[in-house]
Amino acid sequence: MDDDEAIREALCDLMMVTGLGCSTFDSAPAFLNDPGPNDFDCLITDVRMPGMSGIDLLERMRTGGSDMPVIMLTSVLDSNTRARALELGAQAWLTKPVADDALLDQLKTAIGAEDWPDEPGR
Amino acid sequence: MIIFDTEGAVHYWNPASEALYGWPALTMIGRGIGHLSTRSENEREHWRMLLQEGTWQGVVSRRTPSGIHIAVDIRQYVRFAQDGTPRDVIEYGRQSLSDGAVPGADWHIPDRLMAASWEIDVSASDALIATIARLRDEAAAEAQLNARYKDLVKAARIVNVNERTMRLVGGNRGRDLMIGQPVSGFWPLESRATLGELIVDAMTGKTEDATYRRQMPSDGILRDPLVTVWRAETHGRIYAAVNGTVDDDRSYVYLRASEARYRKLVHHMPIALWQVDASHMGRIYNDIRASGVTDFGAYLDEHPDLVELAATTVQITDVNRAAVQLLGGASALDLMRPVGYLFTVNRRSLHNVMIGRFNGQANYEEITKVETLDGRVLDVRMSVTYPKVLAELDVTIFSFEDVTERMSMEAEIRQLQADFTHAARISTLGELTTSIAHEINQPLAAIVTNAETSLRWLSRDDPNVEKVKALTARIAASGRRASDIVQHIRGMASKRQPERVATDLNEIVQESLIFIRHEIESQSIGIRTNLARGLPSTMADRIQLQQVVVNLLINSVQAVEAHSAGKREICIDTHRTENGALAFTLRDTGPGIPPDDIDRIFEGFFTTKEAGMGIGLAICQSIIAEHGGSISASNHPGGGAQFRFVIPVEAPDGSA
Repeated sequence: MDDDEAIREALCDLMMVTGLGCSTFDSAPAFLNDPGPNDFDCLITDVRMPGMSGIDLLERMRTGGSDMPVIMLTSVLDSNTRARALELGAQAWLTKPVADDALLDQLKTAIGAEDWPDEPGR
Repeated sequence: MIIFDTEGAVHYWNPASEALYGWPALTMIGRGIGHLSTRSENEREHWRMLLQEGTWQGVVSRRTPSGIHIAVDIRQYVRFAQDGTPRDVIEYGRQSLSDGAVPGADWHIPDRLMAASWEIDVSASDALIATIARLRDEAAAEAQLNARYKDLVKAARIVNVNERTMRLVGGNRGRDLMIGQPVSGFWPLESRATLGELIVDAMTGKTEDATYRRQMPSDGILRDPLVTVWRAETHGRIYAAVNGTVDDDRSYVYLRASEARYRKLVHHMPIALWQVDASHMGRIYNDIRASGVTDFGAYLDEHPDLVELAATTVQITDVNRAAVQLLGGASALDLMRPVGYLFTVNRRSLHNVMIGRFNGQANYEEITKVETLDGRVLDVRMSVTYPKVLAELDVTIFSFEDVTERMSMEAEIRQLQADFTHAARISTLGELTTSIAHEINQPLAAIVTNAETSLRWLSRDDPNVEKVKALTARIAASGRRASDIVQHIRGMASKRQPERVATDLNEIVQESLIFIRHEIESQSIGIRTNLARGLPSTMADRIQLQQVVVNLLINSVQAVEAHSAGKREICIDTHRTENGALAFTLRDTGPGIPPDDIDRIFEGFFTTKEAGMGIGLAICQSIIAEHGGSISASNHPGGGAQFRFVIPVEAPDGSA
């Protein structure tokens, strides 16, 4: 989830080459109101977004009982916000631009190695 | 009426007699009336009859100063003393009707009775007169003679003058102060040589009674004055009478004093003045105008030789002290040359001055440059006052005011303003660091991820070239986006002189939003824009206008941020006003401006922010003013602050 289309598309392509399926959302409300199956293995989200921030969303998910792994991917360097995210049980706090290996490692941890696709095409 | 004693010596000579005979009273009192008559035989008989009868009536012939004789009907009565002896004779006379053919008409100018009469003592100048007579025989140069004539007038002393003379040249000093003084002190400079010449004529003339006359140049008091000089009976004395129509009721002295005051005033005026005689150019202009030329500027472009003619032939006839000082001359003489030297740096200015004269303007003014005699170049405000079309004198006045210092000061102020504006932009950029970093970081993040994804596609056993192509295209797009943002920042950060180019106000608003977008989004502030379509572009400095919009936006974001309650929104609107100007309005849902602050909000260094310098809005105002527009702040009736600026589509200097 990111309000920036270029970021969304880039991350989505990274998922695809890795062999993961993914959906993109341009805002927290769009994600929350998505009529489709909402049982994702992991959420990668930006923090600063118009309407509802990534932290607000995480808070709301946790309040709603969701323990979905959430990776915060942001350019916000605010340590308080980071602490709050981790406190709310965020999987990871990564800063943009992120190295793909770092992101994929966190993703692998979140999903579990058993569910991780074999390296496609190898 | 004349009264003379029994010896014929005149005791009284009234103005009517002055009019009739042409001889001023001054020259007649004390003289024998007989010397005006030539028929001495008849005179003797007439005299005998008069004394015997006590009365006489008849026609006499009398000589006028012009040398002709007129016939006069006279009646004479003897007045007797108490002891019965004849005391004096009263004579009434008028020009004989039978004497119609007498050519004395030149004396019949209406106010000739107003002749200014002088009795002058030249007895001390016998030697000088003899020298002049010798020089004349040797046919000496005119200049040499003129100098001697003037010496003679300087040496000549006033013995007596009549009322008119006193009034014309004596001012309020009275006769006593004139008597004994040199004639030259009261005689117009231009005609002193003439008087001297006539004095020599009279003193060296063979005939005792001969009169010598000369027309003098008009002096502003008398029109076509005629001076007549003749020898008095007393040795070394001469009489002079000046006739002429009075042109100006003010006395010559008054005029002279007035002119002297004027000259003094001009001379001491702190502004540099040049007096120029361009009369011959006036005649040339008349000829050109008569040939149908109306666009004189174009005509001069085709005939640059005419400008050169003016430069080399239009003579400066006078300059004042300030002019000498301004151009660094040693004396006025250094500047009394043809006008060309005033236009060595900017010949075009002379061209403009000529057009003003041709077009019959009253004056002309421009800022130009002039080179001083010692080679410095000054910025000057040149003002030209042309002669009135119908004025007798063709005098053009140039004034030059040194504005070099002012111009350099203005340039300094402009520089200072630019520095300030720049500093404010940097400070604004400082406030926007987070937003800017975010704005650049976004495309960079996309680029990095896309690049790494591409590598993954390429390192697979079945490289997906199509996918890599698409990703590379996205990399390029994100790269361009980052580059655009950097360019905007560079524009805001760069130090440069403002420049006016055709600018689209809506584009400015959209670009400014890029800077501020992150701030807005992170504060969850809604932006509503209502940008009018088809707005004309305005001549503006893009970066400065952007600075204004960004500044106003930051203000609003901070206001909304501080105001936790209610809707968080900023509304931006652009439109064209009824006058065709461009208007930008920004309204926020913040707490509004405290009413006490509204009047001061655009003042320099006014701030309500703890960390603010208070130059943001002041600079907004100066930028908008520079663009010929205005900016205002108010509180919206529905809450929140509203800022509005209006700028003309055309630049203030008139360029479209």
